[in-house]
Amino acid sequence: MIACHGIGKTYGHFQVLRDVNLAIAEGECFALFGPNGSGKTTLLKVLATLERPSTGHFEILGMHGLKDKEAIRANLMFLAHGTHLYDELNARENLAFALALRGHHPTDRDVKRALDRVTIGAFADMKVRHYSAGMKKRLALAKTMLANPKILLLDEPFTALDTAGTEILREYVRERLSDNGTVLLSTHDYDKTRPIASRAGILRHGALQETAIEELQSDDLV
Amino acid sequence: MTSFNVIRWIVWKDFVTELRSRETISSMVFFALIVILIFSFSFSMDQQAAREVIAGIMWVAFAFTGIIGLGKSFSTELQNDCLEALQMVPEAKGAIYLGKVAANFAFMFLVEILLFPMFVILFNLEVVEEISLLLLVFFLATVGLSAIGTLFSALTVQIRAREVMLPILLLPLVVPVMIAAVEATKGALNGDPLAMYEQWLELLVIYDVVFTVVSFWMFEFVMDS
Repeated sequence: MIACHGIGKTYGHFQVLRDVNLAIAEGECFALFGPNGSGKTTLLKVLATLERPSTGHFEILGMHGLKDKEAIRANLMFLAHGTHLYDELNARENLAFALALRGHHPTDRDVKRALDRVTIGAFADMKVRHYSAGMKKRLALAKTMLANPKILLLDEPFTALDTAGTEILREYVRERLSDNGTVLLSTHDYDKTRPIASRAGILRHGALQETAIEELQSDDLV
Repeated sequence: MTSFNVIRWIVWKDFVTELRSRETISSMVFFALIVILIFSFSFSMDQQAAREVIAGIMWVAFAFTGIIGLGKSFSTELQNDCLEALQMVPEAKGAIYLGKVAANFAFMFLVEILLFPMFVILFNLEVVEEISLLLLVFFLATVGLSAIGTLFSALTVQIRAREVMLPILLLPLVVPVMIAAVEATKGALNGDPLAMYEQWLELLVIYDVVFTVVSFWMFEFVMDS
């Protein structure tokens, strides 16, 4: 589970996050909406232990966000805007490298299954340099699947994905939720998010307002 | 064991990406060749005079080519935000540091070995008897350069003017390595008895140990900030 207690973040004089309080239980998917620059990515980066909050603190799986970083990182995957892939390596090599650094050593069969699941198995030996944005996103998703984390942070995950890719991602999220995983995703796309999110909130000028996802209006999301 | 695996995989990744892109080593070799050629045309000297100045010229070329390689060491991690993935590795970051140091050392040492014959040919040096001592000097000085250079490469990677900041911050700190390397190289090239310049080798060993240990511990904070 994820628990944020009064998280604030400032860059110089600019306050990006203000007193964010949020609790997401196991088996829950929380969708974070908000206009560009509202602080969605910053909040995800704070929870991914990539940014230090200026005020407040957070816990993930009961572990302190600032004191137990390594343990949190072992249980968390962040599917970010940047795909964390090396252009000069092929798909298999990227997966082997990224997972080895996390202490995982998937078998060739597991890797093939993950690549087939995101439908890029035929391009497993092609350098990522030649991949489209959507293929890179699918490969990043395959990496997440193989790591099988308890906590999943997704930053605008539907960007660059086609309809089939979106459905693969949603199916994976449902799987994590049924396995008591916790998912926090930021998005602008209500229609693609609605089938998987159980709760939602809108970030405006860094302040989080929680709301039932059914009550969201399209003009709330602009 | 896990830390050793992290080191191994970082070295493997840096080698494979470099083998395929050839960005770092080719730019290092190209730059060094230009430096060597310019100096070789600038000075017309006999072998004795060459032995006096060649050590300085050699280490100017090695240090600046090394800085080119060090600069690329972490800037390649900015591609697709791979640096974030390294920051999120659930291990103490010292293993990543040691992996990067090993890869940087290997690239720099390889370039030095490739360039050394150029110095021998263009400056008409006779080095057969001193080759093992020269290789020892190259090894020790390159360990020092890569130990401190890797830390500063990570420190400056997020700065907008990193290509300028890296040499500005790094060069003052590697002055002891450069002085010791030049003096030891000069001693070896002149065929002096080892006792005459062994204090410079000792300085290199001390520098290597101190800066590797200090950089290893500081790397955690650099990656987290």
